[in-house]
Amino acid sequence: MPDLATFQRDFAAALLANCQPAGPFRSLAFAVYRNSSARGAVEALRAAYPTVDMLVGEEMFTEVALDYRREYPLTGPVLSEYGGSFPGYLARQPWTCELPYLADVARLDGLWLQSFLARDANAMPRPFGGSSKIALHPTTSFTWLATPAMTIWQAHRDPWEIPELSPDWVEEGALFTRPGSCVHAELIDAAFHHLLVACAAPASAADIASAVTATFPHSDVAELLRRGIASGALVIQ
Amino acid sequence: MTPTAGLSFKAIHYEQAMACPAAGLWFEVHAENYMVDGGPRLAMLETLRNRFPLSIHGVGLSLAGVDRPDNEHLARLKRLTDRFEPFLLSEHLAWSRHENISFPDLLPFPRTAEALEIIARNIDITQSALGRQILVENPSLYMKLEGHDWPESLFLAEIVKRTGCGLLIDVNNVFVSASNLGFNPISYLDALPQRVIGEIHLAGHSEDPLLGRGLLIDSHDAPISDEVWTLYDWLLARCGAERPPTLIERDDEIPEFAVLLAERDKAAVMMGGRLEAIDA
Repeated sequence: MPDLATFQRDFAAALLANCQPAGPFRSLAFAVYRNSSARGAVEALRAAYPTVDMLVGEEMFTEVALDYRREYPLTGPVLSEYGGSFPGYLARQPWTCELPYLADVARLDGLWLQSFLARDANAMPRPFGGSSKIALHPTTSFTWLATPAMTIWQAHRDPWEIPELSPDWVEEGALFTRPGSCVHAELIDAAFHHLLVACAAPASAADIASAVTATFPHSDVAELLRRGIASGALVIQ
Repeated sequence: MTPTAGLSFKAIHYEQAMACPAAGLWFEVHAENYMVDGGPRLAMLETLRNRFPLSIHGVGLSLAGVDRPDNEHLARLKRLTDRFEPFLLSEHLAWSRHENISFPDLLPFPRTAEALEIIARNIDITQSALGRQILVENPSLYMKLEGHDWPESLFLAEIVKRTGCGLLIDVNNVFVSASNLGFNPISYLDALPQRVIGEIHLAGHSEDPLLGRGLLIDSHDAPISDEVWTLYDWLLARCGAERPPTLIERDDEIPEFAVLLAERDKAAVMMGGRLEAIDA
């Protein structure tokens, strides 16, 4: 009888093997463990990337997830933390050239989840004063995309919009924040994205205005700040 | 309120759960689903915990793994138990991690003297880190492994003796393992140290699509079978007057809350009597 370490090494290798395992791991009983382990990883990835699943379909998602698991097996037991590298992995797959927005949609699924699970804000919002600084809410995440992936993402999260979907092929920004119990998703323009970048470290309204107007001289920074605070993406400190 | 029979908590049943007046009702959650920084998932659990007794059931400590329990995972479990103060805390007699790779499953091992030493060490580490007793659950087994030095029930008894942990006996797992490996489930239950059983699990199973009843799967996607109810009744009778809190587990093909509650109510009644009284 091998020692426990050797037994577990061989068992783990057989669970991850690409081909049919040999010897004692050939049985249908062993296949229960092999299937459960694979299914657990696939379903964890599907739960994290539901819009990608909708776009490619259940069967193809399962195949892609199994391929992904071969390269990136789970490294911890908290399933919601699995698959952080999935958007980058999708971007590297030759077949996604036919769906050039897919990796960006995966990034948006990832940002939604990040916002959903982020720590809650510690303090009640403060009124704006002379010494106030403006910062990102802890649940705020945002990005700038080279594709109209946010329009596609939003349409799939609201199925009533899918039949009318014909996005212009333009760059888009996306903002996710969770002011209460629900994640708020918003399509944003370049000036607003720039403002969010300027708030990555707490900053005064004057410094934020300087940063934004340096690139977007005609933008209405006061209105952008009002929008950011109203949506809950920004907080006053 | 003394917890009697409980349900595994499903977020889709949150409103019915919160409004449910059943006496002795409690809920159980998987620890790893709540190891998050914040958000509605934790907020929902907080509200549930304020209304009902809560049990936390871990699936990720890999107590039968050759490596020591992961310190970071233990710290996260400690934060969770400190915050929610569960009346029961449990893990599995299984492994799910090898080197840096995790497997979302509960994997078997040969019950050798070496395994006993390693598992006792891992339970000691866990109980010391958490500052409390844990319950250890018997797994469902599918494969005949070579090299066992102990039958499972005696192995569990020895672990209890060495570590002071309690037992969580999953009656469906006993039935599934007995059916798959060909042992007598009654003898298994009789050989357990019943006085240290702190919790009982009941769940449904399914048949392998190719082998049928030749290979049962612990799928948690079906009602509890008659055979498992009968074994449960047998175990309750062996536990004497101190009947452990009993959980109805369901993780797939989730039915309406009322369907799960009916199974839970049946278990609650059985905890107060015998199966004959239910069927009469």
